Amino acid sequence: MYKAVVIGGSAGSFQVITKILNSLPKNFPLPILLSLHRLKHVRSGFVEALSIKSNIPIVEPYDKETIKPGKGYLAPSNYHMFIELNKRIALSTEEPVNHSRPSIDLTFETASQAYRDKLIGIILSGANRDGAYGLKKLKQAGGVAIVQDPKECQVKTMTEASLKLTNVDHIFTTEQIINFLLKIK
Amino acid sequence: MVLSDQEVQFFVNTIKNTSEYDFSEYSEKSLKRRLQKILIDNNTDLIGLINKIKTNKPFLEKTVRDITVNTTELFRDPQIWQTLRYRILPKFAENSNINIWHAGCSTGQEVYSMMILLNELGLLNKAKIFASDLNTDALEAAKKGNYKYRFNIGYLDNFDKVIKENPYNYEEYNDVPYSKYFKIDKISDSIQINDFLRQKPIFRQHDLVQGGDLYFAKFDLILCRNVIIYFKYSLQNKVFKLFHDHLYTNGFLVLGMHETMLGEITSRFDKKGQAYRKK
Repeated sequence: MYKAVVIGGSAGSFQVITKILNSLPKNFPLPILLSLHRLKHVRSGFVEALSIKSNIPIVEPYDKETIKPGKGYLAPSNYHMFIELNKRIALSTEEPVNHSRPSIDLTFETASQAYRDKLIGIILSGANRDGAYGLKKLKQAGGVAIVQDPKECQVKTMTEASLKLTNVDHIFTTEQIINFLLKIK
Repeated sequence: MVLSDQEVQFFVNTIKNTSEYDFSEYSEKSLKRRLQKILIDNNTDLIGLINKIKTNKPFLEKTVRDITVNTTELFRDPQIWQTLRYRILPKFAENSNINIWHAGCSTGQEVYSMMILLNELGLLNKAKIFASDLNTDALEAAKKGNYKYRFNIGYLDNFDKVIKENPYNYEEYNDVPYSKYFKIDKISDSIQINDFLRQKPIFRQHDLVQGGDLYFAKFDLILCRNVIIYFKYSLQNKVFKLFHDHLYTNGFLVLGMHETMLGEITSRFDKKGQAYRKK
């Protein structure tokens, strides 16, 4: 019944993201859209690091690439990643939003327009408020809003801002997020 | 200010009916965002904007300029410039002249990057540099060749990677001083490109949507970086066709790091990393 998963977080959530990706089976039925803040001076190597133990392929997509199930799409460094209604990726180098490029809000908002109530959105640990507005949009469009349990987060700004703005469906630990995703058929 | 798809369409139609510009094949998401930004910056709503566009030609031109995105850097994505330096430009060394077109050159940083590279390779004298953009403000900035220093401090790292270091031979180091190509003034916060580079390019306004023959020339190399991401797939293919028509056989097209050619047109090029070579 679901069509896609979108995940937002910052450089600090790297370990959680690898844990999630590494737990997913090779035949995971949905595409995973990743919008993650990075450290300014680390522009490359992220996708390789995420791929090492992941069973599903993780790519930094090309503009207008068609989104396919069972594949991870990491917003490239210094680009916003939009999801178009025809389920293609669209990239942009316009101004940063919330000091961020990629902006999690923009990926979440456009993914919500494309996938409506067939979308699962997950906000992880992060150091700014980016993502909170996007998760609200996702929830309004009927998607499932999940926030990582702030107790588990080293930096709580992103998760707490999200919880303040949206009555989310689940507050989950990393383990619970993984179990939730593994149940998807 | 949140616009509906219909409102964006209304704007696109107005521009199309009042001018020679056509945004109907621009990528929807970013076009909508640009339009929302324009409304906020002008403190107006869509009806107000449309009325002003219809009656005020300079305002229409300004709105068109504001739709375009102008992000660029000196030696942006150093690995592409390393490819140009070691793999592509040397192929033109025996040519009697080298025609290069920067399509969508924005504020000119990559035009100057190219000339610096050509000069280091001893090829600048035989090169003709053409540079075009839709946005005339960006072109004026490109002609000036003056950039903020603090905001763009990453330019120097990129310069070092491309000009001083050799990724294929770590023992090589060319200690080329920045002053050979630009003057850094930390107090006035500026990087000023030297005159011998500024005087060379032929800058022209050009709209890739309208196509047409801008320079009445064919090119050995076309760079069009992070421009087509703002176009729909259909328009991307028209632009690729335009580039194909304007390249010599064996000429190269270099796109942005995350841009790619899709569909039938790919059969007319050989892909070599980030570069496409016309068959």
